[in-house]
Amino acid sequence: MTLYRLFICVLFFWATNAHADISLLKENHCDQCHRLSSGDKEQNLAPDLFYAGEKFQEPWLREFLRNPHIIRLNGYSGRMDFPKAITPQPHPSLPEKVADEVADVLLTLKLLEPETPINFGEPLSKGKKVRAKILFERNFSCSACHKGVNLAGKPHGGESGPSLFNAGARLQPQWIFNWLQSPEKYRSKGRMPRFDLDQETAIKLVQYIMTLKKENMK
Amino acid sequence: MTSIWLKFLGTSILLTLSACTNDSDESVHREPPPTVAEVPHETFVPAPEVVKPAPVSQKTRDTYQWYCSQCHGITGKGDGMNALQLAVPPRNHTKADYLETRTDQQLFEAIKLGGLAVGRAPCMPAWGNTLKDADITGLVNYIRELCHCEGA
Repeated sequence: MTLYRLFICVLFFWATNAHADISLLKENHCDQCHRLSSGDKEQNLAPDLFYAGEKFQEPWLREFLRNPHIIRLNGYSGRMDFPKAITPQPHPSLPEKVADEVADVLLTLKLLEPETPINFGEPLSKGKKVRAKILFERNFSCSACHKGVNLAGKPHGGESGPSLFNAGARLQPQWIFNWLQSPEKYRSKGRMPRFDLDQETAIKLVQYIMTLKKENMK
Repeated sequence: MTSIWLKFLGTSILLTLSACTNDSDESVHREPPPTVAEVPHETFVPAPEVVKPAPVSQKTRDTYQWYCSQCHGITGKGDGMNALQLAVPPRNHTKADYLETRTDQQLFEAIKLGGLAVGRAPCMPAWGNTLKDADITGLVNYIRELCHCEGA
């Protein structure tokens, strides 16, 4: 009986603690634009955050919250008025301590835990990178909507999708892979076409996207 | 004479390599696409009586707005938010001169299989895994309504 009480106490403590985590995001008004749980009402102003922990790379996330920049040049594509080219509001900048606390909570938010994580191997060699770039630009038309990098090392590409110019520092490879294979697990309806990719092709695209880093640009 | 050929060669190589996006310097300031308030509504004329395309459902119009308008624009004039960044401009769906030379089947395949598969610009992705055949047929009818033209 004592053990049972102890268990209830621990459970209660754990539950209130988890609740306190999300409430920190609410205190900082994250929920005014972002969905913090998959059960939340459809929120169309900014990207969902209930899988932030599997989507973003930690150093990037901490830096972004302190010094935000615009990733979606035409605003978030989930908005109904998106095609009318809205000017996106810059993300608020958080003081260093708050940014770290918020990042700590965001990094715990995960949706899919893959049973067998993919090994994305070594960074692409120059020759393989060129072939993967052709996949990215020609075969799957990614650059029609996403900014990547051109042959001169400058950002280029469409502006309706989030910029992938620095995606190699921003996104986790496993998340990009999951998104390419089953976007509906994250979002019921996006504006990006679905592709029926075999695993090998999806991995090549992920490897290519991971090479897109600001530090590699000229 | 040689310099003209060199220029031609240079341009062709650039176009081939740049796939579908414009490789020009990004530092050049570009005007943002017009907001909805700036797009003149009176230019959007309903189909005249002469050509009677199949009726277009609201669902089809919404599908066009949701996906196609990103490049082809909200009124189909090829002026979507990606248009300025693409080496090959998105097709203007309100102009008949090219579209009337295409059959409905050709438009259907371009949407379903993408530009590259049908020998057109690779910027146009394949929508066959996103949209059902019936949705794509609806979009072909909507393009016919926008261009006031029939298939070849």
